[in-house]
Amino acid sequence: VTDFERLLTVLTQAGVDFIVIGGFAATAHGSAHVTVDLDVVYRRTADNLDRLAGALDPLHPYLRGAPPGLPFRLDPDTLRQGLNFTLVTQAGDLDLLGEATGGGTYEALLPHSEVRDVAGLECRFVDLPTLIRLKRAAGRPKDLERIAELEALRQEEP
Amino acid sequence: VEPRPPAFLSVSLDPSPVIEAYKKDVDRTLLRENLRLTTTERVRKMVAALRFAETVRRSRVKADAT
Repeated sequence: VTDFERLLTVLTQAGVDFIVIGGFAATAHGSAHVTVDLDVVYRRTADNLDRLAGALDPLHPYLRGAPPGLPFRLDPDTLRQGLNFTLVTQAGDLDLLGEATGGGTYEALLPHSEVRDVAGLECRFVDLPTLIRLKRAAGRPKDLERIAELEALRQEEP
Repeated sequence: VEPRPPAFLSVSLDPSPVIEAYKKDVDRTLLRENLRLTTTERVRKMVAALRFAETVRRSRVKADAT
């Protein structure tokens, strides 16, 4: 089971600029569904890539689903040369997105995000309308039930 | 030249007949319960459910093996 609090602690304490999206953001907004991984959109500046790689290194990130033994190392160069990474770490599954569907970069999402306190950590989450927009933009049939729930949450919010 | 706004911003939030159909099955009592919680409490509740589901899954694997 993914240790969400540990992953958020590692990223936050290293000063990584990131925005939580996906199922975990849905949980933060009140979704009743469970999610198994943490999806974050990270800022692709050079110093943030350094912080991100350094923060995750002790958790031995590896490509999820890849055969063991590949010469993979999540260092700043790897981050620079790639964009989106689906990883398994010692704290669980982590998806690092340089860009979410529909042009959702860190800079684009930042005005549509909000800071929430999770176990004493100040973490940035995409706001509920934007989470719905991202899920609608992805256009995946499996998301229809989730979108319906998120839209119901919007109606139920005080 | 102004950069184009990201595509996700142009995605409509207008009601969709398909999503409205799914919305009828949403258990709003669970959502109202969650909305009374803090973000930390929501996260910990979800993780507890995830751990319980994992425990059930593992017990089933054991049962299958015997």
